[in-house]
Amino acid sequence: MKLQVKNVEKLYGNGDGIRDINLDIEEGELLTLLGPSGCGKSTILRTLGGFISIDKGQILIDGKEVHNLPPEKRSTAMVFQSYNLWPHMTIFENLAFGLKIKKVPKAEMSKRIENMLKLVGMIDHIKKYPTQLSGGQQQRIAIARALLLEPTVLLLDEPFSALDAKIRVQMREELKQIQQSLNMTVVFVTHDQEEAMAVSDRIVVMNKGVIEQIGSPTEIYDNPTTRYVATFIGEMNFLKNTDGTTLAVRPEDVVINADNADTSIEGIIKTIMILGHYTSISMEVGDTTVHAYVPRLKANKFSINDKVSISFIKYYTYN
Amino acid sequence: MEKENKVLPYLMMLPSILLMSLVVIYPIIMGVITSFQQQESGGYGFENYRYFFENDYHTTGIWYTLKIVVITVVAAIAISYLLAIFLRFSNTPISRLMGKLYILPRFIPALVAVNGMITVIRDSGLINRISQVFGYNLHLNMMYDEKGIILMNLWFNIPFATMMISAALSAINDSEVEAMRDVSASKTMIFTNLILPLTYRDVFVAATFIFMSNISSFTTPYLMGATYPKMMGVTLFDLYNNFHYGRAAALSVIMFLFSSVAASIYIYINMRKDKWEVGR
Ligand SMILES: Nc1ncnc2c1ncn2[C@@H]1O[C@H](COP(=O)(O)OP(=O)(O)OP(=O)(O)O)[C@@H](O)[C@H]1O
Ligand SMILES: [Mg+2]
Repeated sequence: MKLQVKNVEKLYGNGDGIRDINLDIEEGELLTLLGPSGCGKSTILRTLGGFISIDKGQILIDGKEVHNLPPEKRSTAMVFQSYNLWPHMTIFENLAFGLKIKKVPKAEMSKRIENMLKLVGMIDHIKKYPTQLSGGQQQRIAIARALLLEPTVLLLDEPFSALDAKIRVQMREELKQIQQSLNMTVVFVTHDQEEAMAVSDRIVVMNKGVIEQIGSPTEIYDNPTTRYVATFIGEMNFLKNTDGTTLAVRPEDVVINADNADTSIEGIIKTIMILGHYTSISMEVGDTTVHAYVPRLKANKFSINDKVSISFIKYYTYN
Repeated sequence: MEKENKVLPYLMMLPSILLMSLVVIYPIIMGVITSFQQQESGGYGFENYRYFFENDYHTTGIWYTLKIVVITVVAAIAISYLLAIFLRFSNTPISRLMGKLYILPRFIPALVAVNGMITVIRDSGLINRISQVFGYNLHLNMMYDEKGIILMNLWFNIPFATMMISAALSAINDSEVEAMRDVSASKTMIFTNLILPLTYRDVFVAATFIFMSNISSFTTPYLMGATYPKMMGVTLFDLYNNFHYGRAAALSVIMFLFSSVAASIYIYINMRKDKWEVGR
């Protein structure tokens, strides 16, 4: 076990914070903290990096307690949510600073910096200052700076938030590659569920300072244990049952049958949208709207205002 | 239409230019002229200037003034820098309280502050009386001495310098500091590699301000200083009172020259932009 978090609690003066945090992170694992703004993702990451103290619990790296150590004594490296390059140093100097402290010989240092800059596609900017780079470029340098230190645990706080969609996808693939080739343990924070699904070995879904569910992307997607997780990951239809419980079903698990089929749920088709290889159909069911993804060929037989009955391949029930 | 536009801005500036000429430039020119008018031998020459540099009494005074001002600048900057760093990076109730209070001395009128300080530090003052309660008879020997003047100068200048340096420090992001700690930089390294390069300019500016405002100070040395040596501001006052207008003018010009050295440092620092600041 690379990193263990046991019963950690950290509350700020106003009562916000994190509670009952338990995590076991394997060597070489990429774990994602996922949740809406303000749920405590950065707080957890900052306790791991040593930038805030914890009120309760333990943090262990390689089995050794580290929660009383300052950041400079922990083998973690963090990429912060805000840009944190040193403005008065060139890109080269930004990258070299940590290596100088580690007393890496000059020639080796230059070589490692150049290789790293090639890796993140920023070698042409080596002489620039941070203010001469775009936000996304600055974030890449920040990631490069952290990677250069070869940390045993890399902490990334929304590292791709300033990048546009295309580079974002490219960068997260690169990150995944680098992480796997170095067998690095990474804790990654994002509020983008698609990003979490794409890169993670496991996802931690957070809600108001506590962990709602931990699992692999497929586990979280296929078996959301709470309604909150079901809402947060992927798309989901919610229907009220007569007994007060809520029925949740994914659009791809909704089957639309011609009317008179032997199901209890009836609806009227309101919109039909062709989205590439499948079609999105929305129906009025009672006083709610149900979305369904239907293979395009099967969707051809429906038209707007058709009365249909629907059934579910798979559904979840929540209180 | 175009022609009008070119003249109009100058027309609008005319009143302030006239007023400036009247109250600033004219007196300066008159002062410089007066300083070269020789009272004894008549005509124009350096007689009034020579008077200050050939007279031990006055050269001592000039050196004395410079010494006090330099000590004031160095001590005020050192203390303010430490105080500002403490206020910026310590997040305790004490630092927050101090952050609110440190500026208070600026709101106390100079004369009141000087008198207050005198009642505390004079040999029969508050500190002496407190020491007597404990069976001592402590004499600070700060009155009519440069120590008292410097103490008073610090009272006036620390809040100002702290304010300026604090403003510069607030531009440093927490995460910039944290990123340095993350790569295992010590506190000293964080200071020399991050805080100092990002604030040295404001520190120099504060230093030149303190220098300029103290080189001609009068109230404090007049009330707290000795009869010998005297600071230049007090000497100037004496010369006027004794109708030595030529010499007074020459001394003013000398003080002005000292100030302009500081002023040129100030201008140089402000004009100079580090490469990384371009586009910031
Ligand atoms: N220094 C602080 N003092 C008081 N409250 C804080 C402090 N830092 C964070 N909080 C509060 O703690 C909660 C969690 O904050 P945190 O920064 O961990 O959220 P987050 O999940 O990272 O959000 P985001 O996605 O917006 O970055 C928030 O409600 C926030 O207001
Ligand atoms: Mg955050």
